[in-house]
Amino acid sequence: MAFVTRDGLFGLFLFSLALAGAQALTPAHYLSLSDVARLQSLLNQQFTDLESAYYSVVGLTKLGATVHDHEGVCRFLKSQLDPTDVNSVFFAAETSQAISGCEIPVSNETRDILLAAVSEDSTMTQIHRAVSALRSLGLALASQEVVGALTGRISKEDNVMAITLALQTAARLSKQAELGGILEEIEDLTPRLDDLGGIYLQFEEGLEATALFVTAAYSLSDHVDMEPPLKEDQVIQLVNSIFSKKSWDSLAEAFSVASAAAALSNNRFHVPVIVSAPGPATVSHSQPTLQLLVTDVMSQPLAMANVLVESAYAVASKSVILSQAPFTLNDGVFELNFMSSKPTSGYYQFTVAVTGDTRLVANHVELKVKVSTEVSVTSMDLSVVDKDQSIGTKTTRVDYPSKGKSSFTADSHQNFAMSFQLVDTNTGVELTPHQTFVKLHNQKTGQEVVFVAEPDSKSVYKFELDTAERKSEFNSISGTYSLHLIVGDATLENPILWNVADVVLKFVDEEAPVAVQPKTLYMPKPEIQHLFREPEKKPSTVVSNTFTALILSPLLLLLILWLKLGANMSNFSFTPSTVLFHAGHAAMLGLMYVYWTHLNMFQTLKYLAIIGGLTFLAGNRMLAQKAVKRIEKK
Amino acid sequence: MSNSVISVISRFLEEYTTTTPNKLKVVDAYLLYILLTGALQFLYCLLVGTFPFNSFLSGFISCVGAFILGVCLRIQINPQNKGDFLSISPERAFADFLFAHTVLHLVVMNFIG
Repeated sequence: MAFVTRDGLFGLFLFSLALAGAQALTPAHYLSLSDVARLQSLLNQQFTDLESAYYSVVGLTKLGATVHDHEGVCRFLKSQLDPTDVNSVFFAAETSQAISGCEIPVSNETRDILLAAVSEDSTMTQIHRAVSALRSLGLALASQEVVGALTGRISKEDNVMAITLALQTAARLSKQAELGGILEEIEDLTPRLDDLGGIYLQFEEGLEATALFVTAAYSLSDHVDMEPPLKEDQVIQLVNSIFSKKSWDSLAEAFSVASAAAALSNNRFHVPVIVSAPGPATVSHSQPTLQLLVTDVMSQPLAMANVLVESAYAVASKSVILSQAPFTLNDGVFELNFMSSKPTSGYYQFTVAVTGDTRLVANHVELKVKVSTEVSVTSMDLSVVDKDQSIGTKTTRVDYPSKGKSSFTADSHQNFAMSFQLVDTNTGVELTPHQTFVKLHNQKTGQEVVFVAEPDSKSVYKFELDTAERKSEFNSISGTYSLHLIVGDATLENPILWNVADVVLKFVDEEAPVAVQPKTLYMPKPEIQHLFREPEKKPSTVVSNTFTALILSPLLLLLILWLKLGANMSNFSFTPSTVLFHAGHAAMLGLMYVYWTHLNMFQTLKYLAIIGGLTFLAGNRMLAQKAVKRIEKK
Repeated sequence: MSNSVISVISRFLEEYTTTTPNKLKVVDAYLLYILLTGALQFLYCLLVGTFPFNSFLSGFISCVGAFILGVCLRIQINPQNKGDFLSISPERAFADFLFAHTVLHLVVMNFIG
């Protein structure tokens, strides 16, 4: 097999490497500083009950924000606490742990109620809340029993939320307990995530479930010090799903997002990196440094990061400009003086790597950087050339930004010519920007004609106006036209609109100058009336009537002939079958007429079947009788 | 030349009136009627135009079809042709004639518009 040669294998290896590199995902969504502020203000609402107090206080703590008035909160907790309700105790206990100096007094009764809730017969939510409350209140707990209860409960409640709560509960248990079985649930739950377009990964139960799952998974993984079985791409996809929603419907949702943000920025295994440029990624002579912000998903700067440009190449020429160049940290922002590498203007593709911590995920980022520059017009030469070249050309040089002193005259025997060069002000390199136009503007009629100036092989722009050839574009209106040069490009910082000179054009066959009305293009057009198809001309009624009478005349002839031949009805026997046959036949002919006037084919066929059947039977009988009579006569 | 044509025609007519049975003459009269009607329709179309074309076609085809069916009937009931139509009695021929006409009329009525 050809693949098994060394070169073949090596090629295959390179190919798979390139493919892996090409598929590296970077986060599309994260919490910017304004998003974090919005989340905080949502969590900072005045709370009315223990549950909202829990979400608010614990959520804010996870975001690293300060909670005001710890004493007031503590008092609120103590006043609202219902010592017989597991939920109430849970909320109060967790919240009290988040603020300092708040001790919730617990009676033996409450402890017993909490311990009783930890069994296979309670719901997962109850077990989770009871265990968390017991831990937060510093009460004793038999971890192995809890593991038993959780395992039993998982088999009964096999949904995402229940398993997530089980993971979260296990993270509060003693490390000596057998948490391996519960840890495996992370791996079992991961395939239930829906992959949307390769960018998002979320549970169909929604954002809250996904965010709480992430929180619980990392919480448990940190607790047992084992890396969660999530691949890098999956982590980034989860980040995209959780942080794509920027306004949250409920406190619970906001709390879950805050928990996930805290888990993803501060766990032992995976920390997604966000690399962004504070403004547009543009570098120029006036602004030579490229600035980058390197943060975690909550827009907090990463303390021990080293940022490095792995390679930077020009998009147009694919030549590599930089390789392995480090960024310097300057007041929280990573900077690199790109202009020192003397890049020509254009777009550059940067591959940036963030190192310094083995936990970093998505730390290779592709960035497109624009280098802009200033352009200047040099060697602008204007001349009027005679077509037969008998008279020598007179070239006038005009310098930007002044205007040519005298106006140029060109009639139908002459061409007006222009040549110039566009150079980079800083490097002196010739440029070919995207837009180089020559606009001629008739000062009296307001008409504008625009041409494109093309560069030749030496990057010298040339423009020639053949007066006779181009007169249709000018509508043959002679007069003074002001000549403008328009230069523009995405990488130019100073686009140019320069009135170079005035040109007097003389056309032959001049029409009366019609003021150009550019606005008629957008005025309503005349309304189109629909013309129905005119019916064909019918012949006059006289002709039709005449021919109708004419057509009926052979019938008359027929009757006369039959009478002459002696056709008669003397043999008509009044047997029932004969009568029925004739009646049926007459009915069929009548049906034909009715078909013409009223019915459609299906109805006619239906009636015809009935009448025809009867007529056939009667006719058969009648003809048989006639046949018998005929044979008898013989 | 014209003399022989006239004599042929007059001889033909004489033979026709004497030898043809009455029944066939009745059918022949009917065929003549159909022929004239068809010819007049065609004349109208030539003179006045084909509007409405479907009506003209249906009328003309009705005449042509009826003529053909009439000719078939005449052939089948002619006693001189008895040898060719041993299994088909005149009554049977007439019944076929009626049935075919029903179908023809259905088609013509559909098309007449």
